[in-house]
Parts: sequence; C-alpha cells; structure tokens
Amino acid sequence: MSTITLYSVSYDLASVLLGALGSILPGGARAAITSADVVTGLSVLIFGVILLAASMLNTILLIWWERKLLGRFMDRRGAMHVGYAGLLQNFADGFKLFRKDTVRPREADPLGFLTGPTAYMVTSMVIFGILPISTGWNSGALPLSLLLALAIFSFAPLFIFVSAWSSNNKYSLMGGMRSAAQMIAYEVPLLLAVVAVVIVSGSFSLTTIVTEQQNYWYWGPLVLALIVFVAAMLAEMERIPFDLPEAEAELVEGWNTEYGGMLFAFFMLADYLRALVGSILVVLLFLGGWTMPSWVPSAATSFPLAGIVWFMIKTYLVFGVFVWIRASLPRVRTDQLLRVGWNRMIPLSLLAVFLAAALVIVKCLPVFGCLPSVGG
Amino acid sequence: MSEMWINMGPQHPMTHGLWNLRVLIDGEMIVDVDPEMGYLHRGIEKISEDRHYNEVITLMDRCCYVAGFAWEHLYIIASEEALHLEPPERAQYLRVLCDEFQRIASHLMWYAAFVQDLGLMSPFLYGMRDRDLVLDLFQSYTGARMTYEYMRVGGVRSDLPPGFTDHARKVLDWLTDRFVEYDQLCLGSDIFRKRCDDLGTLKATDCVTHGVTGPMLRSAGQKRDLRKDRPYAVYDQLEFDVALADSADVTGRYLVRMEEMRQSVRLLRQVLDWLDRHPGPVLADRLPRWLGAPYAPVGKEGYLLKRNYPKGVGFSAVEEPHGEAQAYVVNEGGEHPYRVKFRSPVFANISAARQYLVGYHVADIPPIMGSVDVCVGEVDR
Amino acid sequence: MATPDASDEKPRDNPILWVARPMATAARQFTKSLFRPSTIVYPYERLEDPQFRDRLEVASGKPFGVGRVWDNYRGVHALNIATCISCNLCAFSCPDICIDMVTVPGGDPKHPKKCPQIDYGKCSYCGFCSDACPEGCLTMTTRYELSTPKRSEMVYSPEKLFAVFRSKLPMNPIRLARPANEDAILLDPPLCIGCNACARDCPTGCITMLDVAKPEAKPGEKLPRRIWKEPVVNDSDCVRCGTCISVCPKECLFWGTRK
Repeated sequence: MSTITLYSVSYDLASVLLGALGSILPGGARAAITSADVVTGLSVLIFGVILLAASMLNTILLIWWERKLLGRFMDRRGAMHVGYAGLLQNFADGFKLFRKDTVRPREADPLGFLTGPTAYMVTSMVIFGILPISTGWNSGALPLSLLLALAIFSFAPLFIFVSAWSSNNKYSLMGGMRSAAQMIAYEVPLLLAVVAVVIVSGSFSLTTIVTEQQNYWYWGPLVLALIVFVAAMLAEMERIPFDLPEAEAELVEGWNTEYGGMLFAFFMLADYLRALVGSILVVLLFLGGWTMPSWVPSAATSFPLAGIVWFMIKTYLVFGVFVWIRASLPRVRTDQLLRVGWNRMIPLSLLAVFLAAALVIVKCLPVFGCLPSVGG
Repeated sequence: MSEMWINMGPQHPMTHGLWNLRVLIDGEMIVDVDPEMGYLHRGIEKISEDRHYNEVITLMDRCCYVAGFAWEHLYIIASEEALHLEPPERAQYLRVLCDEFQRIASHLMWYAAFVQDLGLMSPFLYGMRDRDLVLDLFQSYTGARMTYEYMRVGGVRSDLPPGFTDHARKVLDWLTDRFVEYDQLCLGSDIFRKRCDDLGTLKATDCVTHGVTGPMLRSAGQKRDLRKDRPYAVYDQLEFDVALADSADVTGRYLVRMEEMRQSVRLLRQVLDWLDRHPGPVLADRLPRWLGAPYAPVGKEGYLLKRNYPKGVGFSAVEEPHGEAQAYVVNEGGEHPYRVKFRSPVFANISAARQYLVGYHVADIPPIMGSVDVCVGEVDR
Repeated sequence: MATPDASDEKPRDNPILWVARPMATAARQFTKSLFRPSTIVYPYERLEDPQFRDRLEVASGKPFGVGRVWDNYRGVHALNIATCISCNLCAFSCPDICIDMVTVPGGDPKHPKKCPQIDYGKCSYCGFCSDACPEGCLTMTTRYELSTPKRSEMVYSPEKLFAVFRSKLPMNPIRLARPANEDAILLDPPLCIGCNACARDCPTGCITMLDVAKPEAKPGEKLPRRIWKEPVVNDSDCVRCGTCISVCPKECLFWGTRK
C-alpha cells in the first residue's frame, strides 16, 4: 500500500461518503453520484476544508502561544481563564469580533475597504495550502512550490496599501505607505537568501528541499542566509522590531486603524497566518522540515504522524524565537529600516548566495553532516 | 505627498494624558508642531481658595497623579511659610523620604511609558512591577497608593509603622538590582541607541530661554537642581550628587533619570538611617484651630474667624521629578488660602516642543515626548 | 553620548553583538517568571491576606508588603453606631462634602441621634473624617470592592456602615494624637445671654450652665435681658467639634488659648 497522504485520505473519505449516499439512491442517480468526477470534486473540497481548518486552528494556537510566551517574558501569565490555560481565549475573542458590526467610515471607499482585508486573508491562506507539512501532506508537491509561495507572500503590500488608502485616514495612509516601502525593500534579501538554499538543494520544490536535508540541515552551511532570512521575514511579518506600519505609539494602529469587527479579525488572523507561514518556511528551508536527526531514538520518529508533530514543534519553537525578539527589542525607525534593508541586508544576502555557491563548487557540504546537532 | 496637519491627541497613544500635539508633516518629516493643552483643566487653583489649608492637600495629589508627594510638599512648604509655621525635624525627614520614593516611582513610571513608546514591550511591565513595590511602601504608611493625603500643614499625618525602615531597605536593594537590568535592556540594545542618540536635542541655552527645567535641563549639562541650589526641607544635610549628562538628547535624559534614581536610593538610605535614630513628634505642637488634628471648621456654615491670626505669603520651589515646580500661597488671615498659584514644569517643557521636535521624523515624536515625561495633570491643573 | 560622570561609564551600558544583551536579559527574566510570575491572580489571591503575602515573598524573592501594609489601607468606612456621639466632626472635615448626618433610631425624640451617611460616588478616601472622629467610631477598613450597577447603592447609610463595622475587617489603626496645648472654647462673658443652646446641643455634655451673680443695676441703667447663667466647658471631655460655637446665637463663644 502506498503512503497515506492528505489527498488519499480525503479521496477515501469522499468515496465512502458518496458510496453511502449512493446506496440509498436509485440506480441512475447512484451511477451519477459515484462517478469518478464527482468523487474527485468532493475529495478536493474535503481537502480544502481540512487545509482551512488546519490553518485556522494553527493560527489561533499560534496566537495563544505568543500570548503565553510574551506573558512570561513580561513577568506575567497571559491568557489563563477561558479553557485550560486560556487555550480557548482566542476563540472567545474571535466570537466577540464575529458578533460585532463592521463599521465603515462614511468617506471610506467601500470597494477597497472591504476587499483589502478579504484579499489579504485569502492570499495568506493560499500560501498555507502550498506548504508541505510532512511527507503525506503533499499539497506542496508542485515543482516550483517555493517560488509560488513567495510570490503569493509578496502580494500583501498591495492589499495592505489598498485597504489603508481606502479607509481615508491619515494614520492608515502613513501606515500603508510604510508597509509598502518596507515589504518591497525586504522582499529582495528574502528572495536572495532563498536563492542560497536553492543553490545548495538544487530544487525549487519544498518537498525536495526537505528531503535533501536528510543528511544535514541547512542552517549549518547557510547560517548567514538563515540570519538574513529571519530578519527579512520579521520585516515581512511586520513584527517588532520591524512593526512600524502598525507603530501604535505614533500611528495609533497603523493601516488597520479604521477596521473593527470581523474585518479587523481578518487582518489579525492573516497577520498570524503569515507569521505561521514565515516560521514554517524557516523550518522547511533551514531546519530540515519533518526530518529528524538520526540520533533521535526511532521510537520518537516512527509513530503515526510523527513528521507532522516534529514539524509543528519546530515551527512553534521558531515562532518562540520571534516572540523572544519581540519581547526584548524596540522598534526601529522608517529610514533606519530602509537603510538597513538596502545597504546591509542585500549585500549580506548576496554574500550568502556566493558562499552557498562556493560550498557547492568545492563540494564540502557533506562535512556538515558531522555536526552532532544536525544529524546524519 | 504635500504637507498635512495631523492631530496627535487628545486621544492618541502618544500623549499619555489629555493633550493634543498638532503636527505638520511632510511625508515622514516634522515641519511644524503646535502643542495644545487645557483638556484636563479642573480649576484646582480656584477650588483651593474655597478649602481649608489641609483640604487643599487632597487636590495636590490629583495635580500630578504620578508625583503626588512632590506636589503635596510643594504646597505644604508655601502654606507653612504663609502661616508662619515650623514643622518638626522628623516631619521634614519624612517628607524627604516621601519625595525621594516618589521620585523613584515617578521615574519608573516614566521609564515604563517611555520604552512603551519605543515599542519595547516587556520593560514596560518591569517598570510598572517595580513601581508597585514603592507604592506598597506608600500604602503601608499613608494608606493609599496614589492619593496619599499624608502631609499636613505643620508636619505629616502619622509616623511610620514598625518595621518600615528595614522593609524599605529591602526594596531599595531590589530596585538597585533592577536598575542594572533596565540599562541592559535599553542602553545595551543597539536599536535603542540608534533610535535615541542625537534625538530631540535641546541645548542648555534653549532650555533656559524656554524655561525648560528638570532632567531635560540637566541632560544638557546645566548643573541646576533646586535640592542643591535652593535647599528646602533637609536636603542641605544630606549627601547626593546632581545627575548630569551633556548630550542634550533623549539618551542624555534617559541617563539623567536613571542616575537620579540611583541618587534617590543613596538619599533614602541616609534618611532611613536618620529616622531610625531620631524618634520624635511628626506634627507641630502649636497649630491654628483649623489646622489642628483633628481639626474642625469653626461653624456649620464654615464662616471665617479672622481672630488674631497673622497674615502672610508663602513661596516655595521644589525639584519635582519632572522639573522645577513653584507655588505661591497668600494667607489673608482666614481659614482658607486667599490665593494659590502653581508653576508647572511640564507646562514649560512641552510648550517648547517646537524647539526639539521640528526636523525629526514622525516616528521620533513618541520617544522625544516620552523623554520629556509629560504629566498632563499638573500641566492643566 | 555622555554619561553623568566619567567614572560612571560602566561596561554594562554598551551594546554587544547588536541586540544580544537585551535578549539575554529578557531570557533571564523569562526563566525566572516561568515558575512564579509577579502577577497576582486577583480574585483568587489577595494581597490583603498576610499569609499569601508571606508565601509570595518567599516564592518570588521580591520584598512584598510590610507588616501591617494592608491594615493601614483607607477603604470603605466602618461606623460603630453605638459609640457615635453625633458630633458632626466627620461631616465638617469632609473636603468633598460627601457625608450627610442622618437620623438613626435610638435618640430621644427632641434631639434625634444623627450618624454619618457617606456617598461613595463623591468620597475621595482622604481619611480626614476618620482622623477627625474623636471617639474612634468612624474608621476606614481594607474593603475596596465597591462596584455596583446602581449609583444609588453607592450611598452608604449608617446602618450599612455599621454592617461593615460588624464584618470585622481590619481597621486602619492610625489614630492621631491631639496637640498638647489645643485651643479651647472660650467665652466672651458680656455677650452671653445664658440661653443654654450650647449646653443643649453639646454632643459630649461637657458644657454645664452655672449661675452667675446678677450684678446690681446702676441707677439710670437697665440690666441686659438675659438668664443669669454662663456655660463652663470641661476641656478634658470636650472634643472640639465647634457645635456650641455654631449654635450660639450671640457669637459669644470662640476658639482660644485657655490661660
């Protein structure tokens, strides 16, 4: 039997469902409903629903994780009353936002005001659908999935700027401008850092990149690229120290000042979804994805869904580092941010690309297999 | 983008109170600013004319809600001079104790708000957490955490509870350790230094021209501290240094305030030692009827009884955490002050906003205004 | 960049490795607060509970609370109706005019007993009333939870304050000592008409009306129309409430130093 994949699970589920439905229907309808096209269509639908649920659950769990971690960094507890250790607090907040009215300023442009957050949310979700979480989660088995993910990732400034401009608020506008400038500036080093990974792995497919890391994870040889990637990803996710588009001290709430209710929840969820995607990309590109080093006892890596579990643990730890940075650093200024982006990050990422190319040319990569923390 | 005015206030995260900073911006650059005050005016000076001398103290705590003791002390000195009273020495030391603890509490509050303006999240809670220890101390001998109503004309309300001085020393030790952490989180951070160095520069001459006082003046290298230059209470008997910096920027103000907290700890250790060794009365023996404890107004309608009480005027100047505060009290012989007038340091400090804001970025407004340490309660009174 | 003092230039002030120092500090705080964060889970843990405070001090290593820190707290008042003498001093001394003297059962019908009723919507918890209370019957307690859906419920009648008293909360122990040579009630004898108003309204009963000799009327002059009695104040019983002064129709009583 072939490996169980997410798609095979949803296909089986669709077949069973349609089979059960067909058994109570007359012959002609049964034949129509159990035809291959219908089963495929339903399985794609189920597939999408599972992805959606996974992305939303993970996002909400990520918010909880940040609240708890940040709380401890600040010498306090974080959410703790709704559900066990406050696990359900975010659901309660979500329901509260869901029940609220959507207030649109009279002078705001309705089209941009409403489509901006929605498109932002949708594009962020699409990226999650592309990323492979484990060998079975093969939705990302496209040959160019890395490029596609980053391409969709860079849609965000457009939607942020549209929603900021159309809300007809000075603070929103400034936040939108900052956001666009920042994301465009940091897109370049982000992509260059990824190029380093692509050079070493020889593939644009995320699945291949991970399987290439069976022997050694890439953070060892590509540590410079990792640093550039994390810094650029912080800017792309608009988190402290690069959260100037939402700098609440001077810009109230930045580009989402005018948003409330469910539209604000869209922004919030999409922000954390992007944070999740960013952490996942770090894990995929540099920390070996779902692979584990060989010194880890096989009992810990061979149980069902072990790949997903280890992957998620890594992702949440990476996000923990982002939270740690957020807890201890102040915000930088726009001009400093852009100067760092263009003057420091791009040369650094170019250097990382050259280093990666040099490593490949002199064929010294397998040396990193000896590092104990990387495994072999 | 052409120039446009934006209103930072009266409801804006930057303001830390009710005031409005109108900013003319060109892109991200500040072209002009126009501070507007008056949103929190409660008429404290006028209400004071209708209250007994001691009852005004309840207003003083609300004048500056983060430095209540400094304002109590300010008013008390002026009204004692107007009423020709002399407080016992122990009361003077107790007032210095209040003042210096208040300075620490106020600066911790400033620290918390200032780093929050910079986007530094956790030190905000560290500052507030450690300020609470000082408030616990206040509560142990005044009974309240912010509105103390502790000083009285002619002394203070009550003596310290037993075991206070030992506990206060423990708190001071704890705070001294924390100051190191604060420096690590701020000065130890490259981003902090990049944000704050050479920011919001206001030279000493400009400070003097615009009446800017307190840590802002001292950060410009001007050695001016009323506790040294015009000693009140018992500051002339205590040893401390004036905190100074000469960069005249936000980092300089940070350094001055941090050093002031360390100097306050030094002062407090001396005061606590003195209090341990010198028990005594804390309230003057001979008080006018309406100032006695427990005092009562004279009649049901509170009519004046101007029998044989000498008139007088009192003036005081106190180095409160934000700068130099001054008070003027006129005693026309009644049980109420005839006129009370205050000079708020923050009013002058933020009135000079144009001098230290224009030419910087919009993102610099919160740290610069944070380094000014705005307390709107005393600006508008 | 300059430090206050050249010798004050400590190495801890300087950044190392861009942001490594603050991140290390935050991580240290994180490990500390993993076991016991400084926050207090308020409705379940209360600082006014001394045992909790001690445990907290041990657990967190922080100097929490000193001895009677909470006993001195100025919260809701407690009124002992039984010992209240209706002297009005609390109402007089209230800067916010939030104290009304209202009638409570128990007095004689001619002079009903009046006890303070406090409007906590106005009260600023300054403690002047409990400082002024000569009998120590109005004190402040550690109760601070006052939220209520109705504004009218913020007005605490004497009975409600008495209920607070009976709940045996810790009371503010600060009692102010009276000044050694306090002003006393003095009499301007020529103005007095012996009307007994002061003695009648004195809450402590320290004023007695004593007979004075009726002088001989000089020829051609009329004696003033008055009762030939004069108030004598027992200074040790007097609480200096000033009621006698305010009820005196002739303003013949005043504050002064007893010779």
